[in-house]
Amino acid sequence: MPKAAQTPLGRTARLLDLVPYLASHQGIELLSLAKEFDVSQSQMVADLTTLWMCGLPGYTPLELMDLSFESGFVTIHNAETLAHPRTLSDEESIALLLGLDLVIESLPSDRQDLKAIALDLVARLSARSSVPAKLSAIPVIPGSVRATIQSALRTKSSLEIVYHSSYSDIVSTRVVTPIELRDDNGFEYLWAACQSARAFRSFRLDRMQSAINKTSTAATGISTTTDENFEIDYTLRIHSRPREAMERFRFESSDLEADVEISSFSDEWIRRSVLASSGSVEIVQPQAIRTAIGKAARLILDRYEAN
Amino acid sequence: MPTVSRKIERLINLTIALLATKRYLTKSEIFKSVDGYEGSAETKERMFERDKDDLRNLGVVIEVGSFDPVFEDEAGYRIKPERYSLDLGEITGVQIALLSLAAQAWRGAALDDAAHSALTKLRSIGVESDLDAVPAITPRLNAAHSDFVVITTAISKRQRISFTYLSSSLERQSRIIEPFAIATKNSHWYVAGNDTEKSQVRTFRLDRIEGEITSMTVLGGYEIPEGFDVFESLSNLQSATVATIDIRKGKAQLLRNTALSIVDKGEWDQITVEYFDSQTLIDLVLWHGEDALVKAPIELCKDVITKLHEIVLLHA
Repeated sequence: MPKAAQTPLGRTARLLDLVPYLASHQGIELLSLAKEFDVSQSQMVADLTTLWMCGLPGYTPLELMDLSFESGFVTIHNAETLAHPRTLSDEESIALLLGLDLVIESLPSDRQDLKAIALDLVARLSARSSVPAKLSAIPVIPGSVRATIQSALRTKSSLEIVYHSSYSDIVSTRVVTPIELRDDNGFEYLWAACQSARAFRSFRLDRMQSAINKTSTAATGISTTTDENFEIDYTLRIHSRPREAMERFRFESSDLEADVEISSFSDEWIRRSVLASSGSVEIVQPQAIRTAIGKAARLILDRYEAN
Repeated sequence: MPTVSRKIERLINLTIALLATKRYLTKSEIFKSVDGYEGSAETKERMFERDKDDLRNLGVVIEVGSFDPVFEDEAGYRIKPERYSLDLGEITGVQIALLSLAAQAWRGAALDDAAHSALTKLRSIGVESDLDAVPAITPRLNAAHSDFVVITTAISKRQRISFTYLSSSLERQSRIIEPFAIATKNSHWYVAGNDTEKSQVRTFRLDRIEGEITSMTVLGGYEIPEGFDVFESLSNLQSATVATIDIRKGKAQLLRNTALSIVDKGEWDQITVEYFDSQTLIDLVLWHGEDALVKAPIELCKDVITKLHEIVLLHA
């Protein structure tokens, strides 16, 4: 869906950038050109028609830019003045600098050569803009894991993943057939048919320790109902550190006036989260979980006292 | 919209004329030679002032000067090609490939449009991207605050930003900072800068900012310390301590992943980890329940025991 700016200034910027792009891509198809600039074909024709009227003072055919695009392929001549790409804006420099930092952190450790080239680019870009060089982006997910998932999605093949489940604290190897990547609360998930569990599951990408492509065909006979599909309602009382509680248990700050009612798919998760809140929150309901947490804490205490 | 097209044509023609000239062009020369300046002297004057502002907003640097510095001539205008054009020095196909990866990391995220237009400019250099030379990695930056661009613009223009920040006790605090840098780690974005009220460098997590971020221009701007690093400034606040923790074999992965050393003790492994904030480590140890027990330092042990007593008491 084309979405490029249609304001006069946005169009002017696009026309200025069109000239050097055309000069370095003579004979490009109108369709690919429109795609590169994220506009419809008719908008691109309108842009080219406007450009056609521009040139050096005098504005005779000798001075005007010479464009041809009737054949569906675009060429430009007599456009030397604008033929160099424009300098990067600060926003563009920031986008590239942060992106490069992420690339540097994601490169495999045996590619020091590429790291050096990327670092040199960072130095060149920041020397030419008013942006400080130290913009850090540290990747959450190893680049190789994502590349493997994406290729499996494309080829509809299966993956063998080594996955760390944080609730059960178990690292397991599973064979999954990827369906799609999803975003939730800033985390990325792979929604997949898990052949090991014979059910659909979602896996957080940053918890995957590795992913290998398996060429086997997709699994069959997987049911969409899983044993994790019923919600547990529980009531939480916040005693201190409210912001941590809000972020850990994911509720809105406006709920804070009284006890908070939330739900979760896993009592294991509730138990661990309450323990990990170090006494800043209390489970009011259900009684069973409340008792279980008290017992669990007592058991750990016994271990410390036994030492 | 013929009038809109006329305006765009005039801006392009003005850019070309000012770029092509080797000397400063006076206003009267511009009105005479550049296509599109019509009407009364006053109208033309207004048109030209607006056009100059528009081009400057597009990042085009228009220099003002005169023919002869000795005499106070009428001011003239030109665009220096070296300031107009992108110049990154010699560029190879491998470099273009790395820059493409960098730009693609923004797919669907805050600076997607800027990354895309940057990439178009880089492709216009006319060097083919050598994709085979780089490994098949596709790093990605996650979505950030909707006012992300306000922060990046403020950093580049040295503007102050103000916002409402949710403190750890959930107070809504008004903050005004001079932003130095923006960075991401563990799926969270951070902005660091000089807190004008406290006169100290502070770091803020973007998802704890409530509502809009607004920027304001300060006279004279401010300096960003050379080589400023968000995460270094975070870890400099406290010095690191090393803790010894027993973890059950095959368990406590989150702790195991950060271990400095691991010693096999049969049913258990003894690990050492570095920590800056004891509460953060205690939370993480307790998440693992019976599978992780703190051994040293002794103060940390005592703190864990105190917290466990509190949990027992609360759930009695």
